[in-house]
Amino acid sequence: MTLHTRDARPDLLPGTLDMLILRTLQWGPQHGYAIGQTIRAQSSEVLQVEAGSLYPALQRLSKKGWVTAKWGQTDANQRAKFYRLTIEGKQQLLREQSRWTELVDAIARIMTPAGEPETER
Amino acid sequence: MFDEDDFQEEIRAHLEIAAAEREADGADPRSARLSSLKDFGNVSLTAEAARRVWIPRWIDAVLDQLRDARYAVRTLAKNPVFSLAVIAVLALGVGANTMVFTMLKSMALAPLSGIASSAQLGVVVNAASRTRTGGLSYHDYQFVRDHDRAFNGLAASGLTSANFGRGRGARPMYCELVSGNYFQVLGIRAERGRTFLPSDEIAPGRHPYAVLNDGFWRRDLAADPDILGKTIDINNFPLTIVGVADPSFHGTIVGYDTEVFVPLMMAPQLGVNVGSLEHTTTSDIFADRGAGVFDVLGRLRPGVTFANAGAQVDALSIALFQDAALADVGQHLRLVHIWESPFGGQTFLLPGLLVLGAMGLLVLGIACANIAGLVLVRGISRRGELAVRLALGATRARIVRLLVVENLVLAIPGAVLGMVLASYGLPLLVRSAEAMAAPQRLFFNVPLDRSLMAFAAFVALGSALAFGFVPALQSSRVDLVEAINEDASPRGASRGRLRAWLVVAQVAVSSILLVGAGLATRSVDAARRIYPGFDAGHTTAIEIDVRSNGYSDARGRVFYRRLLDALRGETGIESVTLASTTPLNLVGTREARVAIDGYAPRRDEDLSFQVNTIGPDYFRTLRIPLAAGRGFDDRDDENGRPVVVINRTFAERFWSGAAAAVGQRVKVGAGDWRTVVGVASDVKYSQVNEAPMPFIYMPFFQSYRANMIVHARGAAPVNVVVDQARERIAAIDPDLAFIHARPLDEATRGATVLFEFLSTMLLAFGTAGMVLAGMGTYGLVSYAARQSTHEIGIRMALGASAASVVRAFVARGLRLGAVGAAIGLFVAFAGARLLQGSLFGVSPADTVSYARALAIVIGGVALATLVPAWRAARTNPLRALRHQ
Repeated sequence: MTLHTRDARPDLLPGTLDMLILRTLQWGPQHGYAIGQTIRAQSSEVLQVEAGSLYPALQRLSKKGWVTAKWGQTDANQRAKFYRLTIEGKQQLLREQSRWTELVDAIARIMTPAGEPETER
Repeated sequence: MFDEDDFQEEIRAHLEIAAAEREADGADPRSARLSSLKDFGNVSLTAEAARRVWIPRWIDAVLDQLRDARYAVRTLAKNPVFSLAVIAVLALGVGANTMVFTMLKSMALAPLSGIASSAQLGVVVNAASRTRTGGLSYHDYQFVRDHDRAFNGLAASGLTSANFGRGRGARPMYCELVSGNYFQVLGIRAERGRTFLPSDEIAPGRHPYAVLNDGFWRRDLAADPDILGKTIDINNFPLTIVGVADPSFHGTIVGYDTEVFVPLMMAPQLGVNVGSLEHTTTSDIFADRGAGVFDVLGRLRPGVTFANAGAQVDALSIALFQDAALADVGQHLRLVHIWESPFGGQTFLLPGLLVLGAMGLLVLGIACANIAGLVLVRGISRRGELAVRLALGATRARIVRLLVVENLVLAIPGAVLGMVLASYGLPLLVRSAEAMAAPQRLFFNVPLDRSLMAFAAFVALGSALAFGFVPALQSSRVDLVEAINEDASPRGASRGRLRAWLVVAQVAVSSILLVGAGLATRSVDAARRIYPGFDAGHTTAIEIDVRSNGYSDARGRVFYRRLLDALRGETGIESVTLASTTPLNLVGTREARVAIDGYAPRRDEDLSFQVNTIGPDYFRTLRIPLAAGRGFDDRDDENGRPVVVINRTFAERFWSGAAAAVGQRVKVGAGDWRTVVGVASDVKYSQVNEAPMPFIYMPFFQSYRANMIVHARGAAPVNVVVDQARERIAAIDPDLAFIHARPLDEATRGATVLFEFLSTMLLAFGTAGMVLAGMGTYGLVSYAARQSTHEIGIRMALGASAASVVRAFVARGLRLGAVGAAIGLFVAFAGARLLQGSLFGVSPADTVSYARALAIVIGGVALATLVPAWRAARTNPLRALRHQ
């Protein structure tokens, strides 16, 4: 996998990075570096996105038509390429979000079955 | 689409933003820049990954293969001689196999063009003996046609050479005399007009019609659209054209391009020379039950098996010969497949092709063995590399794929070259055969079609994959720890065993090829040295047919007498004679049944021998020595006593020898008793490598034929003699057509060319395979020895002398070599009988060839072990130990 958690366990589910990027772009266009920083900050530094994964993922999303890119200026007046969610991208994000919720619920039900005290050892 | 510049720009922007952020946090510009670059990771890998997003998956896979292929090419280029040799031999093997199998297919699987599944046709033959079969007489044909229940009709056809046109412009062509149901039985439609019907076979001489071959109609008659109803002259007899056959149809005699089809009822009018000795100018052909001239064939009824039909033919045969009290016994009818038919080119081409096919397969086999050895050896020497690949996460499948791609890099050029070879070689082969037959036409049903191209590709790729796959699997089974630590013994038990088997197989196959090549060389040598029994130099072979001028028998005799007198008077011509056939004529000549005064043939004994009709001075002109008595002279004419000359083998078979044969009496065919006046030495009658056989010479003026060959001998260069004789003959009758006017050695070339071609192919295959096998064996053996450098070091460190170590290693190599050689020589001995037909002057069990092969193979193995072992033994033991 391409997405690395801090303890170097690369076993996140496939497609998760794409979903995280789409989610990050929900609040408005961002450039690649900022997307990486945002994911890191919002995950309280747990998820670190390598450039080597991030940029191919952005290309993948562009190819699918879920994001568009445009050159612009950052707040610090530096040139950067900004990615923006398209209509299809928004729909895709909604689909992924509900799928993700289902998945997390399902896993949670397995990991903590009802009636089992959580902290018993 | 992916924009490379834009992407680079984006990465630069990323790095600048990241650096600016670090500077804002207080870092100095340089370290800010460096740490942002470090955080980013591998820029070019990222770009590569981003680029790949845009590439469709299949292209990606192809590119991956190409990378493998490029790598493979690089690796193979490090060993160019071996790689090129493998490619060359693979090409040779594929090319030869494709050619041979195309020819075999044309003879056995689809022998006749224009007839659906022609291999399924059955041919009814008259089996006079176990080995010799012939056609049916008209009477016998009618009997089986009318009583048979196994076929959808049985057709009859007799191939003959006939002249088209009159006088000077006449040209010889192949003509089939066919039964009325011929076209219906074979299912051939007419392109124009009609084909023949059973009503075209009612009475002799009453059906003056012709159906043309499409090619003949286009070439010689300019595709005349109003051709129907016009007449053509065949042997000076006008025939009305009633139709043109389907363009794909070339007649029913394999290898011959039949240009005109005529109802067989017209045989007497066309005056064709077919069948038994007493040539047919009358309607004898219909009455003479000895005239077995017809090729009888038909298609089985649905649901009738070949064996079933064969049993029915046997039953018919018993009925047929029961109610007719025939003079000679031992005849019976038999059903055979078309490739066993006594008519057509397959009779003399098939045995040679089978030998070539076997050699082709052997060469291919050795190419495969080499590919296997190559892959294995490289696999072992690349254990380090493969182990690193595995450690980096490559799967075994991935590594096997890499190794298999390397095989393909060898196989694909081999296959392509092979196909090119076949597609150039085959037309060349056919053209040279056609040139030998010109002006008559040959036709081989040998389209280089897609199925054969597929065959070639399949053979090449299949052999590369099959023989590369197992070693590749073997190589990929690398023990990581062992390989990376590099101190383990290289002699893994299973690898060692496989390698040993490869050495044995290599040596075995090399031995087989060496024996084959040896036999071929010795036989070519012998053939070059052989004297065929006659002197073909300075002699003409001018073939004429006076029927093209409409000569009657009486006028023909007068003409030939004048011709002989005229040429005898020419200055520069030493002697002149006539003959109905040349010696060394490749296909043999007509045969006649013979009765011998005072000799009671055993039941089933086949007393049919080949006959040549010759003029006076024949033996003197061709320089054939007489063993006893005399040759024919001018006394032996229609008024003289009936005489005959036989060859030495004949005399020795039936009498105590040449001298005893003179004065004895022989009956040839249905004629009178003839007195033997001379015994001639044997010559090679049809092929260079034929066994001695009884042969009969009949005097021309007692056994007239319209179609003769003039042999004139002169001291001048042979082309001068040919021109001189030709002009002299033309002066007697300016309208006479010449079928051939050429030197005798050109006429006999067909037989030697075919033999030399076979021997040369054998030699080429043998040599190529041998070189490759030698290289392969050397490579494997010396590699195995090199791998033991470590062991040699230990032995020497323990005090063994260099000589004893080398001895031990050479002995080990020789043990493997001996096993391989024993297997190889045994197989060669068993298989050499296959070569019998194309060998000459050498027994298939020729000791010299075997000894030579053994010496070369064992010598090669010894050398291949000795050199590396000696090198290892000479090095410092410590270095040898550290070598690993």
